[in-house]
Amino acid sequence: MSSKASRWKTYRPVIALSILSMLVCGLAYPLLITGVSQAAFPYQANGSQVQLGGRAVGSYYIDNGFTLPIFFHGRNETNPFTASASGVDPDITLSDALSQIPRISNATGIPASSLDALVVAHEHWTLWITGDPYVNVLELNLALIAAYPSSYPGYA
Amino acid sequence: MARRVPGLDRVLGKARLARRPSALTTKTLADSVVRLSPVSLLANPVMLIVELTFFIVAAMAAYPYAFVPFASPGERRFYAEVAVILLVTVWFSTLSDSLAEQQAKNTASSLKQLETEVPAKKVVTEGWERQIVRTESTKLQKGDLVLLEKGDVVPMDAEVLEGIAMVDESLVTGESVAVRKAPGDSLIGGSKVASDTMTARVAVNPGESYLDQMVRLVESSKRPKTPNEVAITMVLFGLSAVFTIIIASILGLSVTLGLSVDLSVLIALYVCLLPTTIGALLPAIGLSGISRLYERKVIAKSGRAIETAGDTDVILLDKTGTITVGNRQAVEMIPLDGKTEKEVGEAAFLSSWFDDTPEGRSVIRLGYEKGYVPRELNALTMSEVYDFSAQTRTSGVKLHFGASFVLPKGSVQRVRRKFYLEDASEQGMHLSGEETEIVKGAPDSFLKSGFKAPQGFRELVDKIASEGDTPMAVARDHEVIGLVRLKDVLKPGTREKIEAVRSMGIRPVMITGDQPLTAKSIASEVGIDEFVAQVRPEDKYSIVLKEQSQNHIVAMIGDGTNDAPALAAADVGLSMNSGTEAAKEAANMVDLESNPAKIIDVVLLGKQLLMTRGAVTAFSISNDVAKYFAILPVMFATAFPALRSLNILGLDLQTAVLSALIFNAVVIPMLIPLAMRGVTFKPSSTMSLFLRNVLIYGVGGVIVPFIGIKLIDLLLGVL
Amino acid sequence: MIDAIQALVVVAILASALISGSLLAPYVVRVLTGAPTRLDRLLDPVEKRVYRLIGADPTITMGWKQYFFAALLLNVAQMAIAFAILVGQGVLPLNPQGFPGLSWDLALNTVVSFATNTNLQHYAGEATLSYFSQMTAIQFLQFTSATTGVCVMAAMIRGFKPGSVHMGNFYVDFVRVLTRLLLPLCILAALVFVALGVPQTIGGYVTVKTVEGATQTLLVGPVASLVAIMQIGTNGGGYFGANSAYPFQNPNPATDVLQIYLMLLIPTTLIFVFGEMIGKKKETRPILIGSYALLAIDMVIAFLGSIPVVGPGIETRFGGFFSTFWTVITTAVTTGSVNASLSAINPLGILSAFMGMLIQATPGGKGVGVMYMIMYIVITVFVVGLMTGRTPEYLGAKINARDVKLVMVAFLVHPIAILVPTIAAYATKAVDAIPGFSSLPTSVGFTQVLYEFASSAANNGSDFFGAAANTPFFNFATAAVIFVGRYVPIAILLALAGSMIGRKRVAEQSLRTDGAAFSFVLVGSILLLVVLTFLPFLMLGPLLTYFQGMVNFFG
Repeated sequence: MSSKASRWKTYRPVIALSILSMLVCGLAYPLLITGVSQAAFPYQANGSQVQLGGRAVGSYYIDNGFTLPIFFHGRNETNPFTASASGVDPDITLSDALSQIPRISNATGIPASSLDALVVAHEHWTLWITGDPYVNVLELNLALIAAYPSSYPGYA
Repeated sequence: MARRVPGLDRVLGKARLARRPSALTTKTLADSVVRLSPVSLLANPVMLIVELTFFIVAAMAAYPYAFVPFASPGERRFYAEVAVILLVTVWFSTLSDSLAEQQAKNTASSLKQLETEVPAKKVVTEGWERQIVRTESTKLQKGDLVLLEKGDVVPMDAEVLEGIAMVDESLVTGESVAVRKAPGDSLIGGSKVASDTMTARVAVNPGESYLDQMVRLVESSKRPKTPNEVAITMVLFGLSAVFTIIIASILGLSVTLGLSVDLSVLIALYVCLLPTTIGALLPAIGLSGISRLYERKVIAKSGRAIETAGDTDVILLDKTGTITVGNRQAVEMIPLDGKTEKEVGEAAFLSSWFDDTPEGRSVIRLGYEKGYVPRELNALTMSEVYDFSAQTRTSGVKLHFGASFVLPKGSVQRVRRKFYLEDASEQGMHLSGEETEIVKGAPDSFLKSGFKAPQGFRELVDKIASEGDTPMAVARDHEVIGLVRLKDVLKPGTREKIEAVRSMGIRPVMITGDQPLTAKSIASEVGIDEFVAQVRPEDKYSIVLKEQSQNHIVAMIGDGTNDAPALAAADVGLSMNSGTEAAKEAANMVDLESNPAKIIDVVLLGKQLLMTRGAVTAFSISNDVAKYFAILPVMFATAFPALRSLNILGLDLQTAVLSALIFNAVVIPMLIPLAMRGVTFKPSSTMSLFLRNVLIYGVGGVIVPFIGIKLIDLLLGVL
Repeated sequence: MIDAIQALVVVAILASALISGSLLAPYVVRVLTGAPTRLDRLLDPVEKRVYRLIGADPTITMGWKQYFFAALLLNVAQMAIAFAILVGQGVLPLNPQGFPGLSWDLALNTVVSFATNTNLQHYAGEATLSYFSQMTAIQFLQFTSATTGVCVMAAMIRGFKPGSVHMGNFYVDFVRVLTRLLLPLCILAALVFVALGVPQTIGGYVTVKTVEGATQTLLVGPVASLVAIMQIGTNGGGYFGANSAYPFQNPNPATDVLQIYLMLLIPTTLIFVFGEMIGKKKETRPILIGSYALLAIDMVIAFLGSIPVVGPGIETRFGGFFSTFWTVITTAVTTGSVNASLSAINPLGILSAFMGMLIQATPGGKGVGVMYMIMYIVITVFVVGLMTGRTPEYLGAKINARDVKLVMVAFLVHPIAILVPTIAAYATKAVDAIPGFSSLPTSVGFTQVLYEFASSAANNGSDFFGAAANTPFFNFATAAVIFVGRYVPIAILLALAGSMIGRKRVAEQSLRTDGAAFSFVLVGSILLLVVLTFLPFLMLGPLLTYFQGMVNFFG
């Protein structure tokens, strides 16, 4: 009887603390963060969804899977060998974007120099002001649609 | 600017023992071969592993077909070469053991030659009868009484019970002057009675004397490992285990990845990586540390004591004998208030006449030199002698005039011996007439006893004391008439030794019975900051405890029975051989020469031992980098030629293996002298010693084998 | 090679970790020593109620065995809870995707991996785990494992502290570290991550029609709360299979830099905690100089190799520089998160990653990094300290044979735990179960297998295989290696610390361990030990890959 009681005394903190810590760290904490985030940062908290024509077309951070010649293509579609680590890399390098300009110009009739300027205007860098230049494909294509709505009928 | 500190050898001076005969003899060589048996290698697992690998490679050479696919039958010659080098590696290790043990034994036996069988006169008491039984020293037991007469050899370590005699200990200590031994003093087995007769009690059983203990210490098989040796052995075990796992893994990968590694090459790599250098030399280093103490005639009761000596950070130094030669010398007579120097000199002379101490004799000598031999000299025969009393701390004479005699021809010494008070009264002379009382002693005791002291007395006393000298007051008929300046004579070389230990971060503390002013002056003269003055022998114990309670590791010296508790409490207790049995029993080291200054040598030698062990360990481990780069790339290059880029030494597989193995083997005998002699170092701060040794043995240990292996490779190419 | 601006970024991030670490350390010390903090008014009553609820007497102090077994038992109980959740997630709530329960070998591997701060993942979270599992199994264990690491380090420091008489109370340490350090930091960091674009929702995956009209599923979930603890707690297990290469876990360079910084933050802080807690601030020096000098060496080795261009396995927004930088840091602090595919990193970068995992103290994982560094200090002090002519001491305590024995046994754990299963994986042909493995060049394949077990033993968690290693052999073998690699060294090092209690301390240490001189000798000796132990295998792995002229591990 007494050994049972002393064993309980030893194991009670272990069992009680593991359950308690699970409730605090596994439920209370993430639910608290979820609640605050949904209230304070609903756009980011739900995946930075991008709207086009009043409906969500994808996430700013996820490759949108462009395949038509009139759009800039993400790297994951063009060539499986250059696939990113995540497989959903939303960005392409600046040179990659520039190399696609003749195709888009051909397909849409937009002058290459205008496309060139558009790409450069949406440049990002891995070190903010310097580093490796890249562009977000979805951002660039949406800008393309906004700048040349006539070339993209049915999208705007 | 820091003062230049001389190197260890200068600080320690020459070893006291004559150069021992070379340890490298046929007998040593034979012994080293006998030690190759696996059974005797059990004590040295690293070397046992190497020997086992020898058997494997030897088997590969003999029956290569049995080892396919891990051996190529065409390479028998190479396997034989590898096997030979492996065996030689083990032999180098046993040779270093044999050499160190022989060296230690040689040293020990040159100390021990005295303890051969000698006849003894055992005193047997039956009832009231006392009988002398002639027997042999080896048959004596502890507690037996022996009679010692002029010319006898003391059969065993013993303690004087009755009688006073002069004993010649020159065989043991090298000191040629006979020593006076009185009841309570201890006798060393093997010393010789030079005069008179005494009875002594045997202090030990056969085989238990210090010399026996010492000899046991150098028989490596019986020598218990010291704490540091055990710890290093743990490192060696750990590393050996790591390398065993590595080699087993490479063997496993050789099969699974198809590396086609030859077993003999893998074994060679294994042996090269094993800490063979330190494994081979560890026992020798420990033994040589003991030998180096013997050479300075210090007997450690255990190897542990030597290590602890190295750990010491506080040394309690008795002023007398350690810092000063022990005898204060009278150098000046200073009259007080209206008295003349001659008056003081003569009074001092008279009061010292019966004083047998070195101080007393120096007063007489100074008196002679200055021509202050008093008229009243002949009255001394009629005098009453006040022996030195610890209570009053004075001594002196009371002279009775009216009787006279003529000084016989001869030295003062002889006069002093001949005419004692008792002698005078025995000759029927009567003391009568005028009396005068002359007393000398510690100045403050005169004041306490109410003597008249003139103006300026106290100031003069303080002045002398603050100059590091001891003032001795002289009083005639209860009036202080002057002072004698007693000067301490510093021991030559002590200053340097103290400088050396201080530079290593050890704190010397001077202990003296002197008054604080004198103590301070002497301490600062030899560069000691700390001292404890007016210490009685029994205070030493509490000083030791106090230092230990502040987490210091304390070394001290002692000789009297009073010192025994302190010696036992101290981390390192060095007893003087001339000391009492109790003191020697309590100490963990004994100095046969009874030179208190040796405590410093002992500490430095302890440090040297630890340093040598650390240095060889670091060197041994660092060596592995080069051996890896010698063997690994060429070993793997069979399967992966791309790894040839890492073959920075540009070796071929077989010469790489042979060169690395040969280097691994020859580094052992090359380091034997270092192991036996100990690393040389210049006493300096621990951090600079540390950096220096890391640079030499750590970084050097990485670089040297690259050069050595390449040189051996070139040499092999020429052959 | 990297350019000057990139070098500047490296220095700036390391410097900010060092500065904030030194500023945070006094607070952590107050947390660990029970000194008053600003959160007391809020947390003291809660804490008291917690102790009463769990039935632990906060005034009881523990010896090393009690402390260790309390930690071990608690971790095992937590594993059991998480195991039940993972196996039973099919019937548990918050599973909008309707994922079934995990196989029990994968569940076992996962809970052992997460409860030990390893976070080796033989699954892709977005396709395997429900929201409930991501929260109550994964995030829960990420908190508790990090907390346990800090606790055992605190216990070890208490043992080494001169004059100390006990190792503390595990339950008190656990509650205080969790509530006063990790939870507040994570709440803060999680909200910053959300603001920077990391999702945080339990509303289920979102299906959209893309611009071109295709159907796309956006894998949103409670990601930000997980990212915060996975980096702050040096856990490394991601929400997604691609870990921090997945844009929702690491959307832009800002979150990337923040995550690198957060990985370094607590391990660096704990280095400063050591000196403050031991009562000799200067004794932080050898650990600080040692770990950061080794980190610098790792970094130089990694950047000496070619920096990958954006291509297979490299995310465009991070480029080769951030991918290599991350790989060095994540192994140096044994976090194990990745922002690129390891196969895309150059062989010298992987060699550097190995060094981080094999040393485990550059600055190493939460708490255990400091513990390993103390282990290295003890062995270094012993071998080189003898050369000062005195039995070496550390923090005033003489190093004795038993200490050396314990340290050597702790040191042996690693080679055994890494090499034996590596060979077993080949010998049992378990490697052939990994898709595409047999077609890899030997050097590449060997690097990947060795990395799997080195990462497990070091409780790092990054790996080349990911879900491809979801085989019974790899699940069991890595779980065993992880368990041994975590608890055996902790037990040994706590025993070492326990034996320091009540040991006589010398007044003045002969070999000063608090200076630059010793620190650099320490670095040398750590490199020597690691090189001696693992050089042959690194030669057959990343070095061979390098000398064969390959620039990555795609084979």
